[in-house]
Amino acid sequence: MKAEERRRFLKQSALALGGLALAGTALPGCGTEETKQVAGRLFGPSFKAGHLLRTGIRKVPARTQEVDVVIIGGGVSGLSAARWLQKNSEQRVCLLELEDRTGGNSQSGKNAHSAFPWGAHYLPLPNNSNTQLLRFLEEAKLITGYDAAGLPLYNEYHLCFDPEERLFINGYWQEGLVPNWSVPPADLQQIDRFQALMDEMKQAKGADGRFAFDIPLAHSSSDDQFRQLDQLTMQDWLQKQNLTSTYLSWYVEYCCLDDFGGTLAQTSAWAAIHYFAARRAQAANSDAHRVLTWPQGNHWLAERLREQAGPDLRTGSLVYNLEVADDKIVVDYLDLATDEATRLMAKKCVMATPQFVRERLLAKVPAAPKVNSRIFTYAPWVVANLTLNQVPAGKGIPLSWDNVIYGSSSLGYVNAQHQSVVGFPDKQVITFYYPIPDTSPASRQAVFTRKREDWTELVLQELEKAHPSIREEVEQLDVWVWGHGMIKPTPGFIWGPDREAAAQPIQNKIAFAHSDLSGISIFEEAFYKGIKAAQQILTS
Amino acid sequence: MRINVQVLLLFSVFVVATCGLVYELVAGTLASYLLGDSVTQFSTIIGVYLFSMGIGSYLSRFFNRNLIAWFIQVEVLVAVVGGFSSTLLFLLFDRVASFQMVLYLLVSLTGILVGLEIPLIMRILEDRFEFKELVSKVFTFDYIGALLASVIFPLLLVPHLGLLRTSFFFGLLNAGVALWLCFYFSKEVKWIHFLRISCVASIVALVAGFVLSDRILAFTESLSYADKIIYSVQSPYQKIVLTKNEREFRLFLNGNLQFSSSDEYRYHEALVHPGLNSVKYPKKVLVLGGGDGLAVREILRYPSVEKVVLVDLDQAVTKLFASHEVLKNLNQGALLSKKVQVINTDAFQWLKTSQEQFDFVVIDFPDPANYAIGKLYSNTFYKVLRQAIAPGGAAVIQATSPFVAPNAYWCVVNTLVSCGFTTLPYHAHVPSFGDWGFVLASPDKMLPVNGQFMPQLRFLDQATFEQMRTFPKDMPARQTEVNKLNNQALVRYFEDEWAHYIN
Ligand SMILES: Cc1cc2nc3c(=O)[nH]c(=O)nc-3n(C[C@H](O)[C@H](O)[C@H](O)COP(=O)(O)OP(=O)(O)OC[C@H]3O[C@@H](n4cnc5c(N)ncnc54)[C@H](O)[C@@H]3O)c2cc1C
Repeated sequence: MKAEERRRFLKQSALALGGLALAGTALPGCGTEETKQVAGRLFGPSFKAGHLLRTGIRKVPARTQEVDVVIIGGGVSGLSAARWLQKNSEQRVCLLELEDRTGGNSQSGKNAHSAFPWGAHYLPLPNNSNTQLLRFLEEAKLITGYDAAGLPLYNEYHLCFDPEERLFINGYWQEGLVPNWSVPPADLQQIDRFQALMDEMKQAKGADGRFAFDIPLAHSSSDDQFRQLDQLTMQDWLQKQNLTSTYLSWYVEYCCLDDFGGTLAQTSAWAAIHYFAARRAQAANSDAHRVLTWPQGNHWLAERLREQAGPDLRTGSLVYNLEVADDKIVVDYLDLATDEATRLMAKKCVMATPQFVRERLLAKVPAAPKVNSRIFTYAPWVVANLTLNQVPAGKGIPLSWDNVIYGSSSLGYVNAQHQSVVGFPDKQVITFYYPIPDTSPASRQAVFTRKREDWTELVLQELEKAHPSIREEVEQLDVWVWGHGMIKPTPGFIWGPDREAAAQPIQNKIAFAHSDLSGISIFEEAFYKGIKAAQQILTS
Repeated sequence: MRINVQVLLLFSVFVVATCGLVYELVAGTLASYLLGDSVTQFSTIIGVYLFSMGIGSYLSRFFNRNLIAWFIQVEVLVAVVGGFSSTLLFLLFDRVASFQMVLYLLVSLTGILVGLEIPLIMRILEDRFEFKELVSKVFTFDYIGALLASVIFPLLLVPHLGLLRTSFFFGLLNAGVALWLCFYFSKEVKWIHFLRISCVASIVALVAGFVLSDRILAFTESLSYADKIIYSVQSPYQKIVLTKNEREFRLFLNGNLQFSSSDEYRYHEALVHPGLNSVKYPKKVLVLGGGDGLAVREILRYPSVEKVVLVDLDQAVTKLFASHEVLKNLNQGALLSKKVQVINTDAFQWLKTSQEQFDFVVIDFPDPANYAIGKLYSNTFYKVLRQAIAPGGAAVIQATSPFVAPNAYWCVVNTLVSCGFTTLPYHAHVPSFGDWGFVLASPDKMLPVNGQFMPQLRFLDQATFEQMRTFPKDMPARQTEVNKLNNQALVRYFEDEWAHYIN
C-alpha cells in the first residue's frame, strides 16, 4: 500500500492545479475556440396561435356540434376537470387545446438519450390530507399501497433517487440546497433560526382550527393573524425578523424564484412562507422531503390525467370566440392544422386557460365580472435542455437530481436521466431553468426578441460558473421560452378581492380552473382547481 | 537601453544556481517517492550531484575559446536535460530494468553541466572584475540562488506547479537566459545562428512539455500499479489494466484490484459453489457483472447446467477475457463455451425487461463505491431479481468486506431480507482482498445448503464452509438501513467505512 500511496501523491503533486491555471493564462492560443457553434433549436408555446388570438380571428364556423361540457385548455387543470367529469358524470365532454399535445406548462420532449421536461418537473410528496390527489396517485400506480400505519407506499422508481440536491458554493458541491459549505457561523445561526420559524409555521393553526398554510391553498386558515402576511413582501418579513444574512436571503430567494419566478421584494410573505410551511407529507418508504419526478417531468402526470380524461380531446384547436346565447354556451375554435373553424354548442364550460386568454375570450360575455387584470402578473421562464458528452465532474458531491449554483441568476439544472436505472448513460441530458423576475418593459421585450444564440450564450455562461469546461461537452442545446411562465403571488394578490372574483363561476355555466386562480402555480393547485370547477358545473 | 554586461552575467549566475538546485530537489523528491527511503535517496542524489558538479568544474579547463558561445550552449543543454528530467523519470519508472541507473545518469549529467557553468562564467568575467570581487560576487549570487530555490521548492513549486511543471518552468528560465545572452552578444559570439535556433527550439519543446504535462501523465499509469503492466485499455466505462509479476496476474478496473490470479479461486469458489451446489439440477444460470468469466468457469463444472447468460456492461472486459491468452487460460475459455451467452448492457435495465427465469443467479458487481453502482444493490433491484429466480432457485451476491465495512455488508443482507429473501451470510479469506463477504439469498422460506462439494475444488469443502458461515465475535450481524434508490444508504456506509480504513 505504501508504495502505491506514494505514487498517488506524486501523481497528484505532478498534476497540481496551479499549473493548470498558469498554463491557461500564459498560453491563450491553446484554449478551445470560443466561437464553437452549438447546435440547437428555439421553442415556445404556439407563437402563431397567440398572434392569431391577439389580432382577432373572423372565421365563420363551417359546422356546429353539440356537447354537454366544453373544457378550454388542456393543461393539468383542464385535464383534471375532464378526468373528474369522466369519473363522476355521464356528461359528453370535449376538451380543446391549442397545442399539438396536452400538458400545458407540464410539457416534455425526447431525444435519443432521454425524455426531458420543458416545464414543470416535480411533485413534492403530497400532504396525506390531500385525499383527492392521493386517489389519483393510486390510479396512476404512483402509490402502490399503504403500510400498517396507513402511510402511503410510493413507487420507488418515481421517488427521487439519491443524491437529490447539491449546491455549488465557494468552489465546492455541497449536499443539499441550504448553504453550509464555508458559511460563517453567524449566517448558519440565522439559517437555523429561519428553519425553526418555518417548522413552527408548519404546525401553526388559526382560530378556525385549520392549518395556517395548507395545500390546496384554499384549505388554509382564514385567521387574519396569518393572512395579513400577504400584505408584506418576503423581503420585509425577513427584515422584521432580523434575518439579514446574505446566505439566508439567497436561499429564500432561490425558493421564491423556483416556485413563483419572483424575487424576495416581489413575493408576498404569505406565499413565500407557504412554500416552506405547507408540506407535512409522511410516507411509508421515504423521508418527508422527497419529490416525485420523472425523466419527462410532470408531463408524466399530465399523461396519466389524459388517459382518464375521456375520448374527446381535440389538440391543435384554438378557441377564439365565446358567447352565451340563451341557455347555451357557444364556443368557436380553429383547427390549426386544417384552418377550419368549428362551433360547439355546450351546456356548460370550464375555462382552464390563463387569465390573459380568459380576458379576451370573455369580452363578449356581459355577465363576466370586471376583474382588475393588471394584478395578474407573470414571470417569463427560459428552459434549456442540453445533451452533453458528460456533465463535467467537480469537487464534492457527484451529479445529483437538482444541481444549483450559488450566485447564479439561474436555478441551476436537473439531471433528466436521474430516475433511470442505467448506471452509465452514453450521453447526459440536463434541464436548465432560468426565471426572469425583472418586470421592466425592456426585459419583457428582450424575452420575445432574443435569438437562440443569445439564449445559448446566457445558458452556457450561467453553467460555466460551476463547470468552466462545459462548452466542450455540449452536443445539443435547445431552448424553450415561456413568455407567461408563472403567475406571481405579489403582495395582496392571494388574499385580495380580485383573485376571488375571478374564480367565481358565471351564471352557473362557466367555471374557472386555471392554476393562476390559486396565485401559486403548482401541480396540486391545478389539479385541485380542475376538480373544483368540475364539481361546480355538476352541482349547478 | 543595454543592461550592463556584468549585471546580466551575474543574473545568469543567479538563475543557473536556482535552476541547478531545483533540478537536484526534483530528482531527490522523485526518487524518494518512487523508491521509498527518503534519507538514502536524498543523500545519494546530493552526493552524486555535487560530485558531478566537480567533474564539470574539472572539465571546464578544456574550454579555451569562444567561452560565451560555450556558456550559452551549456545553458541550453541544462535547460533541456533539467527541464525534461522529471518527465523522463516518470515515464521510465517501471519500463526500464534499472530505474536507478537512469536516475543517477540524469542527475550526473545535470550536475556536470551545472558544474561547467560557474567556472565558465568566472572566466568570462575575469577581465571585467578584480579577482577578489569576482569570487565574492559570483558565489554570493550562487548561494542566494540556492537559498531561493530551497525555500520556494516545497512552499510554492510542488504544491502549485507540481514536479513536472516545476522542471519545465526552470528549464524555460535557463533557456530564456541563454536566448537573452544570444541577443546581447550577437556580435561577439561565434555560431550565433545555430545557438539562437537551439535556444528557440528548446523553448518550444519546454513550453509544449509544460502545457502537455498532465496529458503526459495521463498516459503513464505507471504511477498507480506496483507491477509491470501487460495490458491496458480505456473502455467507455472504465480503465482496464492487467499487471504481472513473478507470481501472479492482477486485474484492475479504474485502479481497483478485481482479482489476483494467485488467489482468485478462493473468491470464485466461495462465490459460486455454496449456492449452486444447493440447487437441484440447475439448468439455467445467470451471471450479472463478472465479465472476467471466472464465476462462469466455476458454474460450468456442473454438468446439469445447459445455459449460462452473462450480463456485463463492458464489452471491452468480456472481449478481453474471451481472447487474451493468459486470461483465457485463467477462466479456462469459459466465455467461449457454447453454453454461454454474453450480453453487454446495463444489468438493471436488462433484468427489468427480461422475462426469463433462472435456477441460480450470481451477482458479482463492483463494490458500491458510487451512486451509479449503488442502484444495483437497492431493494428495487432485488425485487426485480426475485422475479428472475425460478422456483427452488437462489442467488448469491458479493457484498464487500464484513470486516472492513460491516455496515455496508449487513446493509446488503438487510436489504435482501426486506424484499422477502431468506438469506445466508458467509465470508471467506481471500489474501489479496482480506476477509470478503457473500450473501446467499432465496425467495423461499428455507435455504438448505448441500455441504458435499465436488472434490476437485481447491479451497471449499464441508468443514471450511461450516467456518465460513460463522461470524466471529468482532464481526457480528448489525442493524442497518435498507438500501433504496431514494436513500443510497449503502454507498454512504461504504464510503464512510473504506475512507476510515484507508486513512
Ligand atoms: C418553467 C416552469 C416550471 C415549472 N415547474 C413546476 C414544477 O416543477 N412543479 C409544479 O408543480 N409546477 C411547476 N410549474 C407550474 C405549472 O405551471 C403547473 O404545475 C401546471 O402545469 C399548470 O397547469 P394549468 O392547467 O393551470 O395551466 P397551463 O399549463 O398554463 O394550461 C393552460 C392550457 O391552456 C391552453 N390554452 C391557452 N389558450 C388557449 C386557447 N385559446 N384555446 C385552447 N387552449 C388554450 C394552453 O395551451 C395550455 O395547454 C412550472 C411552470 C413553468 C412555466
